[in-house]
Amino acid sequence: MSTSVAIKPPGEPAAAKERTRLTGFMPLIALAALIAALTIADPDFLTQRSLTAAARTAAPLIVLAAGATLVVLCGGIDLSIAALASLSTVFLALWIPNLGGLATPAVILVAATIGVVQGAAHVLLRIPSFIVTLGGMSILSAVALVVSGAGTVRVVDDSSVQWLDLYVAGYVPMSVVVAVIVVALIAVVLKVTPLQSWISATGYSESAARLAGTPVDLVKIGAFAVSGACAGLAAVMLVSRQFSGGPTMADNLLLPAVAAIVVGGTAITGGHGSVWRSLAGALVVTLLRVGLPIVGVPSAYEQILYGAIIVVAVALTLDKSKVSIIK
Amino acid sequence: MSFRDAGPPVALIVIFGLFAVLSPQFRSLTNVQNIVDSAAVLAVVTCGITFVLMMGSIDLSAAGVMGASALTVSLLVANNRNDNDFGFLAIVAAVLLGCVFGGLSGLALVLLKVPSFMATLGVSAVGLGVATLMFAGVQPNISDTMLESWAVERFLGFSYLAWIAAACILLGWLIQRYTRLGRYAYAIGGAEEVLTLSGVKVKPYKVAVFVFAGAFYGLGGVMVTSQLGAGLVQAGNGYDFSAITAAVVGGTLLTGGRGGVLHSAVGVLLVMVLTNGLVQIGVSPYWQGGVEGVIVVAAVAAAVIPQRRRNQVVK
Repeated sequence: MSTSVAIKPPGEPAAAKERTRLTGFMPLIALAALIAALTIADPDFLTQRSLTAAARTAAPLIVLAAGATLVVLCGGIDLSIAALASLSTVFLALWIPNLGGLATPAVILVAATIGVVQGAAHVLLRIPSFIVTLGGMSILSAVALVVSGAGTVRVVDDSSVQWLDLYVAGYVPMSVVVAVIVVALIAVVLKVTPLQSWISATGYSESAARLAGTPVDLVKIGAFAVSGACAGLAAVMLVSRQFSGGPTMADNLLLPAVAAIVVGGTAITGGHGSVWRSLAGALVVTLLRVGLPIVGVPSAYEQILYGAIIVVAVALTLDKSKVSIIK
Repeated sequence: MSFRDAGPPVALIVIFGLFAVLSPQFRSLTNVQNIVDSAAVLAVVTCGITFVLMMGSIDLSAAGVMGASALTVSLLVANNRNDNDFGFLAIVAAVLLGCVFGGLSGLALVLLKVPSFMATLGVSAVGLGVATLMFAGVQPNISDTMLESWAVERFLGFSYLAWIAAACILLGWLIQRYTRLGRYAYAIGGAEEVLTLSGVKVKPYKVAVFVFAGAFYGLGGVMVTSQLGAGLVQAGNGYDFSAITAAVVGGTLLTGGRGGVLHSAVGVLLVMVLTNGLVQIGVSPYWQGGVEGVIVVAAVAAAVIPQRRRNQVVK
């Protein structure tokens, strides 16, 4: 993270480094602590069956969070991912009878295109990303309601998305494998191309990145496209599990996805973070979700926990040297 | 009144005229009463959010706060779940709960330095969680005569709720115009740095604005409970976004420092006339959210056009 050192104010490099190292391990420590706590609370937790179930729940969340992480790394936010995933489940359920196996790539492509449109609106009209995607969220939900007639769309013949329900080597759910591959793919593509430094530069200091010749606008639109495509893929996973699509099916995944990103340690101010962190964050959030009933806490506390997590995690990871005035 | 400020009222008159020509049901007196009555809750919520937007912050917590206050009031007035019958005190308690949630958002912003949209997203989730806990699987139906009368009884043709909303708008306008809180909210949005350099401690005022906004959401939750006759977790569903839409359409800038309660009141009427009119001419009510989404993006885009060249960095 040599770029981060350059913008840190002089005088406290040691403290800053210590802090970065600590927040870097935060998600892994939380993950280990959670697994340990849950195993103590319920020794049956560390069995293959419950771990597989937890991993299957985590898969769509991992994909959603990984995609949106790119937007956060650029310094923006994508609040439309859950609504876009809901709309995509409806599209997929409606298209499978006609397109069969082609429905999956078609849905991902459409979702990516919607991402591009939102990114372009953000960049060209100079509207803050959270307001574009908040508006997008509302529009996409409306489209989903109208297209589906405000009801669940059943998938009678789900043979084309059934492959996601298979198990690799008998134990590992295919959806989890796909999720990890997606995260790895994004990470590798960023690493071997100049994209990583372009995204970091955009997130750390957009005006400096622009002066240095980074195609900031294209990078941002690209980030929204990946975010959209990931929402589409998450929708495919949801449909394969639920055998239906619904206009509000994925709506309750927005908070967990945002929580996963910030718990992973990706700074909401942009620049600092990675998709791997969001993978760890998504696992933490999923464990909390499946773990609360095990410890005997009513699931109503889940929402309160997400709220608290988001605020605390953002407070811990925020790069305070960068912004003097916080709105 | 400048040309900019004249835009939303003119748009309101034009749109109203357009629908009146297109649909005979729309121009009936009952429908106009209907529009005003159904605008009441949104007007109160928008009043609160306007102060936050004037500071240049944003508030996504309305849905959660309204859910929590709806459950609080319905469990404290006469209801089918317990023997409470606190009447007016229950409403005060619900509004105070709204203040507490607003205070949490404000403190997270000034002490933890969490950007307001994240802080309020978190507080909204907490509010929904608290509401779910209080709901406990059994819907509390209210039987308090005063609260029920708010939505049913009429005075001069409009429901009590509409008059409460009008009183809130008046109160909001007075506070915005004549108190330090209102003036500083403007100044924080316009030039926070200058204000800080002038020796003003802005942090307490920021928290105060969020507390103040929370009180309006709390009252909004009470009003929804009066309409539904029951306390629901989803009482505030969609109001957060509708309120932002109404405020922005009315001419309040998201960057802060412009607009106000009266602008927002016009914005609320614009949104309600538009959604009601579209339903009257046969558009599916499911499109309502879509229409709001389009107008919020369009209104924000139109507002930033003058500064397009200057503002290169937009997050």
